[in-house]
Amino acid sequence: MMRQALAFLFATLVLSPGLCAAEERQRPEQVQSDISMREISIQSNFTGVKIVLFGSIDFSKAPSPDEAPYDVIMVVRGPEIPLVVRRKERIAGLWMNGESKTFSEVPAFYAVLASRPFRAIASEETLKPLGIGFTNLDFSKTTDAGDGFRASLIRLQQQRRLFQESDDAIGFIGRSLFRGSVDLPVNVPIGRYITQVYLFRHGKLLSQSQSSLQVHKVGFERVVYMLAYRHPLTYGLLAVLMAMSAGLLAWTYFRRE
Amino acid sequence: MLQVYLPVAEISVNLLVMLGLGAAIGFLSGMFGVGGGFLLTPLLIFSGIPPAIAVATGANQIVASSVSGALAQWRRGNIDFRMGLVLSIGGVAGAFAGVLLVGLLNRLGHADVFISLVYVIFLGVIGSLMLVESLRAMWRRHAGKPAMTRKPREHTWIHGLPFKMRFQRSRLYISALPPLIIGVIVGLLASVLGAGGGFIIVPAMIYLLRMPTHIVIGTSLFQIIFVTAVTTVLYATMERSLDVVLAILLMIGGVIGGQFGANAGQKLKGEQLRLLLAIIVLAVAARLLIGLLVPPSDLYSLAPVVMGP
Repeated sequence: MMRQALAFLFATLVLSPGLCAAEERQRPEQVQSDISMREISIQSNFTGVKIVLFGSIDFSKAPSPDEAPYDVIMVVRGPEIPLVVRRKERIAGLWMNGESKTFSEVPAFYAVLASRPFRAIASEETLKPLGIGFTNLDFSKTTDAGDGFRASLIRLQQQRRLFQESDDAIGFIGRSLFRGSVDLPVNVPIGRYITQVYLFRHGKLLSQSQSSLQVHKVGFERVVYMLAYRHPLTYGLLAVLMAMSAGLLAWTYFRRE
Repeated sequence: MLQVYLPVAEISVNLLVMLGLGAAIGFLSGMFGVGGGFLLTPLLIFSGIPPAIAVATGANQIVASSVSGALAQWRRGNIDFRMGLVLSIGGVAGAFAGVLLVGLLNRLGHADVFISLVYVIFLGVIGSLMLVESLRAMWRRHAGKPAMTRKPREHTWIHGLPFKMRFQRSRLYISALPPLIIGVIVGLLASVLGAGGGFIIVPAMIYLLRMPTHIVIGTSLFQIIFVTAVTTVLYATMERSLDVVLAILLMIGGVIGGQFGANAGQKLKGEQLRLLLAIIVLAVAARLLIGLLVPPSDLYSLAPVVMGP
């Protein structure tokens, strides 16, 4: 009994590498990924930050680094917020906001990175349900597209660097490692961000992986922000108190009498 | 590049630019003896601060400058507290209405244009009046004619109104209604403009209420403290548009600039100062007007959806 068990153990230990290698060729590719930072802290000296997304392909079937048949697309999404787009019109000689459209679910931040132009990686039918690319985003269920509002929303978010599409932003290292980087600008909204990494081969989605990061304010910025939004009355009264003390201080220090 | 992140405005500004802006306003207010809020808000808007934030933060900064101004006047016994209180009651009511109005317009997307338009009208009118008055005074001095003297006190319709009150320091026995109404109008304008409203209340006190000139400045500063303090708290609670980091920068700059301004002001004659101020006021009004008339480079704009309180 004991001998049998030992023999089995021996067989497993000796034979398993060969077995696994054979299995590896058959098992489907799996993508794993992570982000260089899980937390981004906004302080008074915050001027934006670059984050690196990296990952690897398990059970890669690439014969050599130069012949990898894989494509990777990464999507970074911030929390969804409502935004209103307004169009200026000339009314009584003055340029003022006229028609407006509200989009109830706009990602506060949205970036697409790809190993090559992503529209060449997969068909529109594949990309649309995954929400890859500005035109495949669903800002709300109710808004009717067609006029300039949707396009302007995308354009203005791009100008603010809050919407980014970058082809050729992901590089492969060896047979299975890859990395890409995203610049989060100074105006990056706070909240929970989701990063999704999609692995494609010949236009077919093989595997996907998801991670998240948190953008928040810290220190003095956090105190001010929390007070301003959670306890606005205290915040207002403190601001007045501070101004009054500043006035008192200036008077006692600079009075000429 | 000293960038400072404003936590409520959610933008990054240059530290030196904002300190400099505060110092410039402090210099002007020290030089001309005005609050400077009516120049601060437009300059903040020009430098890219959203108008709703500029107005709320401007009001907070004026609390500081009016406290130090009022303290100096109080030491000289130049405040009519009773009159100041009546003006403040009206002023607080007006401020409440003004903040509600700005909030409503902000939700509709018209706050920017409205604030600019009110500024163009007020700065335009006041700048023109000052320009004419200072030029006339300079011409009088040049021609060797005596300066204008104030008209003697006379009975007007104001003296026929009910609810009479005795204002000892101002040596007035008049109805409480005119100061109350003046307070409401000034409070409304001050809260919409993010200014103290001294440029309206001072002439109103001199020409409508006929208060003695030496009491006017102190009493108006006393009233401005209340109106701007209430305006600040109201914007903080109802609009979430107060940024204290920006306010601190402006206050620091303002205190420094104010000291230099007061010295510079003593080297110029009264009508020269008024002429200079008139030109600055008209230039700001013109710049705001151009912004309203010139077709914008981008017709579309993006804004967060402002939730009600």
